[in-house]
Parts: sequence; C-alpha cells; structure tokens
Amino acid sequence: MNSGDICLATLESGETIEYVFDANAPRGGMKHTFFTPDRKYAVQFFNNPRDAANPQMQDRIRTIVSRYNPTVSEQNGGALGNTEKTADYFRAKFCWPVAIIKSPEFGIVCPTYPQNFFFGEGASAVLNLSGKDKKSNWFTGRNRKYISNGELGDFRMMLRIAIGLARSVRRLHQAGLAHSDLSCNNVLVDPRTGSSVVIDIDSLVVPNKYAPEVCGTRGYIAPEVLATMERDMADPSRCLPCVQTDLHALPVLIYEYLFLRHPLIGPKIYSADSAEKDDFLAMGPMATFIENPNDNSNRPPDLGVTITSLSKGLEDLFIRAFVDGLHHPSERPSAMEWESELLRAWDKLQPCSNPACSKRWFILRDENDPVCPFCGTRMRGSVAKLSLKSEMRGRKGVFRDKGELFIYDNMPLFDWHVFSNIHNDEKASAEMRAYICHRNDMWLLVNNGAEGMLSPDGRLVPKGSAIELKNGCLFRMSGRENGLAAQITIT
Amino acid sequence: MSDYIRRLPVYLLLDCSGSMAGEPIEAVKQGIKALVSELKGDPQALETACLSVITFDSSARQITPLTELMLFREPQLAAGGATALGAALQVLAECIKAEVRTSTATQKGDWKPLVFILSDGAPTDDLQAGLDALKGVTAGNIIACAAGANANTATLKKITNNVLMMNNLTAGDMAQFFAWVSSSVKASSKSIDAKPGDAVQLPPPPQGFVIVP
Repeated sequence: MNSGDICLATLESGETIEYVFDANAPRGGMKHTFFTPDRKYAVQFFNNPRDAANPQMQDRIRTIVSRYNPTVSEQNGGALGNTEKTADYFRAKFCWPVAIIKSPEFGIVCPTYPQNFFFGEGASAVLNLSGKDKKSNWFTGRNRKYISNGELGDFRMMLRIAIGLARSVRRLHQAGLAHSDLSCNNVLVDPRTGSSVVIDIDSLVVPNKYAPEVCGTRGYIAPEVLATMERDMADPSRCLPCVQTDLHALPVLIYEYLFLRHPLIGPKIYSADSAEKDDFLAMGPMATFIENPNDNSNRPPDLGVTITSLSKGLEDLFIRAFVDGLHHPSERPSAMEWESELLRAWDKLQPCSNPACSKRWFILRDENDPVCPFCGTRMRGSVAKLSLKSEMRGRKGVFRDKGELFIYDNMPLFDWHVFSNIHNDEKASAEMRAYICHRNDMWLLVNNGAEGMLSPDGRLVPKGSAIELKNGCLFRMSGRENGLAAQITIT
Repeated sequence: MSDYIRRLPVYLLLDCSGSMAGEPIEAVKQGIKALVSELKGDPQALETACLSVITFDSSARQITPLTELMLFREPQLAAGGATALGAALQVLAECIKAEVRTSTATQKGDWKPLVFILSDGAPTDDLQAGLDALKGVTAGNIIACAAGANANTATLKKITNNVLMMNNLTAGDMAQFFAWVSSSVKASSKSIDAKPGDAVQLPPPPQGFVIVP
C-alpha cells in the first residue's frame, strides 16, 4: 500500500468506512491513526497485532463504545441515565470511540477533534504549527513563549479549562471508569475559549473487565504506579492505573493550567547516579510537591504566585493531592471535589484593573486585601460580595450558606445562582438569568429571566428590571420553591 | 521561574563519503530539514531534544554542536572521500563527554543520548579505536542504519545490536528513515519516564526496512 491509497474497513455493525493509508501515520504508544477522506473520523489500528487480537481488550472496548458511553443517550444504547442533553454536552468534552472495526483487523473509529483544538495560521511567529493539535503543554511548558498572544487566553480561561476537565473526569469516575492515561497529550485545550477535550478513551479501565496495559505518561503517572512498575503484573503489590491514579494526574493538569508549571519538577536532586534514576525518584517513590509547606527541599527559589493566592478551598485540595495524598492515594480529593471547588473559585474571580496584566483575572481570596497576585495591582473601587442562602425547609427565616460570589460589571448569573436545587453541571441550563451592572459605584442586579425575583422590600422584579444592591440588603433571587436568598456586602 | 528540564541529546552520525554524492547526500539534507521541522511540531520533543550532527568521510568532525531545536541551523553537507566510521565514533565519544551534562549532587543531568548512525559503506579506518572510545561513555540507544547494497551490517553490529537495513539510497527511503528517527525521538521524549536504566522503546522501523538480526 502507498500513502494516499483509499482503503476500506468493515465495522462490526456491517457498515463500511473508507480511510486514507499513510505510511507515516501518526503513531502513539499503542495505536496508529488514519483518517477518513473527509477527515471527520480517525480510524485507529493497534501497533502490535497481539494487542489487536486480544479478546479481553476487544470486549473492554465494546463496552466502552456502548454501555459506558456518556456521549450517547441511554435510549440509543449509551450510558445508563444519560439523556440527549447530557450526551450532547459530553460529546464536546470527550473524543469517544463511535464504532469498532472488524476487518482488515480490529480497530476503532473516533470522531476527529473539533476544529478549535487545532492551531490555525499565525498561531506562532516562529514555529509552523498550523494544523497541529493543541496539546496542553504548548500552553503550560516553556514552549508557551513561542505561541502567539491571541492563542494564550487568560487566567479565567485556564480556570475554565480546569473546570471542564474536572467535570469530564468526574463523569468517567461516576460510572466507575478510570481514564488511566490522563496527560498533557491526552487532554487538548483551547485557552481562547477555555475548552478542553479528553482523547484516547480506548485505554479506559472498565469495572470487571481486564485492565488495559498502560502505565501512563511521564509527569502524570501516579508515584505508586511508577514505584512498583518493575513488579510482575500478577504481583498484587504492583499498583495499576485506576480511579485513584487519575486523581493524581487530574490535579497535576489543573496545577499546570493555573500556574503554567509542573507541581513536582523543582530543583531537588534525588540521585547523583543518573538522570533516569533521579527522575524515577522525583516522579515516583520520593516525589515532593514544589510547594510543600513542610518540606522546602524541592521549592524553586523564584516560585512566584502559589496556591496560597487561590481560594482557600483550592489551596486545601492541592495540599491534600500533593502533600497528604501524593504517596497515600486514598487521601486524594475526588474529581467531584475538584469540580465543585473550582466552580466556587470561578464565582470569586475578579477582573484585574491593570490593563497590562497578562492574566487579566484573578481569584479574590480576601476582600479586605483586594490585590491581583499576578501583577500586584490593587483593585479600584469597592468589593461587592453576594452571599447566597437557602431557607431551611419548614424553618422560616433560618438560612444555610450556599456560596459566595464576588461580583463585577457584566457578571452573568445562572439558574444555580437562583435555585438551591440546581447545580452548575451538565444538566443545568446555560441561559443567563440575571446579570450585574456596575455604574458610578452603584451595583445593580438586572433580572434577565429569573422567575419570581423579589426586591429587598418584597416586590416582584420583572425581567428587564433591576435591584440596587446596597450594603447589607437581603432579597430573593426567586420567591419560588427552592429559590435562594441573597445578601450583599460591600467593602 | 527557572526551568528544571533535562535535555534529550540526539546525535546524528552521517556518512559523507564519496559514494553518498549526488542524490543520497541531497536526500540526507532534506531528511534533516524534515526531522527538525517535525520535532519542532511536537511540544515534548521541542522542550527536551537537542540535536548534533557529526559527519565522516576520510576523517570525522562535529559540524553542529549539540543545539536546542529552535536554534538549530541545517549544516552544510558535501560528499567525498573515504568512510572514517571509527574516527566518527571517537568524535562522538568526545562530544558526549564534553556536551552531555552528567548527574551530580548539585546538577540535574541530561537524559542518556540517542545516537543514529547512517552509513552506506564499510569503515576504512580503525573501527576498534572508535569502539574502545565509546565504551567510556553512556549512550541510551544507538541505532545504526545500513544504507544501500554496499553497507556493511556486520561492522555496524559491532557498534550496536540495533541495526536497520535500507535497501536503496533513494530520496523516498531516506525520507522514511528520517521520519522514523523523528518518531523515535518523539517517543523517547515522552517515555523517558519509567524504568531507570532501561533502553527506551522505539517505534517499529518503516516499511521496507529490515532489522538485521
């Protein structure tokens, strides 16, 4: 066969699909990839015929394509409890295999990534990146300096990427699946829009199925997996990729998105014998968080902004992931905890008032000291905090805290800011229900469709009307069932 | 923040003897160009790989010192003379000693170098002197490619167990060889994880290339 030849593959469903043969097909650790002539689908075969013929692996992949597939509704043979809406949502977050090839040999068909995960013209002034996929480490490693500013996004978009990834991993884990090889290569990101897509889904660990033979990617392998990888596969003390090892890789990626550096790569020398041994210890049995508050042996002298400049909640999660849980997998925070803590931090974002600040946004940790940690600029004007509360059932006037928001001009508010029973997740509506307007140091909350919004004196606020947010005022985001109350504090 | 990234040194040892004149040497030039461009498109390779070119004809010399990819300029290659492979190995050993950072108690060392040798003939000098020099340094993987009918796989086998045979010296085969070198470097820059001391796993050689047992 020659490059450019059109070949035909038969799917297990009996349908056929054409692909273009390429002698230099992109080759990963396990598979190589061809494309359909319209490049809408990737057709992947295994490098090693023994892998392709392995019935346990085939069985596992069949389950991934069907019963465990969050990108297909339950009605259409996808994951349990999955609706059309959530299937649509996750179709944009995963590059999930859609079909299995039975001949010429076992293989899988995946959709190609959406266009915004490929670099376009002008993505770099010094490199020809046009058409290359946006692997995470183009943006987080030292290659970042070669990428055009227009591609880099800002801190808010990096936080959005982190939220999206935490949500995708939470969805996998919720079904009992583990990705097993989360890494900068398997998560593509678009910082311009803050979106991410998880790829290489076929190496998932599926409950009650034979585990895939992957160990992961340098920098993302959990320390216990690296430390025991020399042991026999059958040795029960050997740690294999699982949900808990994903919970190491996930915060490594989140940390990289937020700080543009790796949490374990620092100045500490672990072994003078060889680079390989030093690295093995640094990523494996001796790994040390560069920001470990009790051990500064791996702390770079010029660390810059640290986890203490994030929300307290995120700081605590990073400590649990990289101090308490680095060598104790069961201590690691779950993907759901990451998702909700990142969302809480999202509600505390403030725009930096320095127009030259490259990060443009920061998480406001202390309203009494409103300074951008990245550029040191103090916020101009007042800080306004909206505290959401839900009234306890059957106990009128008794409220429970449901989160805090630091508001800013043009900040959109959604159903989860209005109702206590709606969470910011794949099921929620993306309709903006209200927004904040800041004029002449006056804060307004404009109703954009939140039903039953009540002013502080109890009058209905119709769509298009606004409430003036004065220090201390308490009002209802909605007077309907499960509607949240809100109180404003201006500092 | 300072970076603590280790380099992956990659040495190309290229035969520039008289028999490489014409199409083969032009194909090598194109191959290097394609290799650099391909590696610059891979974030991990770009971050870690450094490239050096050593050529040999009647003598051997390093024409490009170990250079990070962004600063790499394609070297001027010309074919003529004999096949001083032994001398080339001696130059390689000296360069590794001088250029590859070793791990010490105060310094993060580089990864073990990756060495690709391309030769279309039999060495005309003292190979043993080169082999002896190589014993004094650590290289991660040495891959030798015997190009064309006159290449001597038996002598290459003395240098390394990884010997490939490329039947023709056509531009197409040469392009495939360099594409394979680039996927090997990419694979190494990703998988320099794992087991300390292990040789990295390289992708299978391109179609039409024979692994010499």
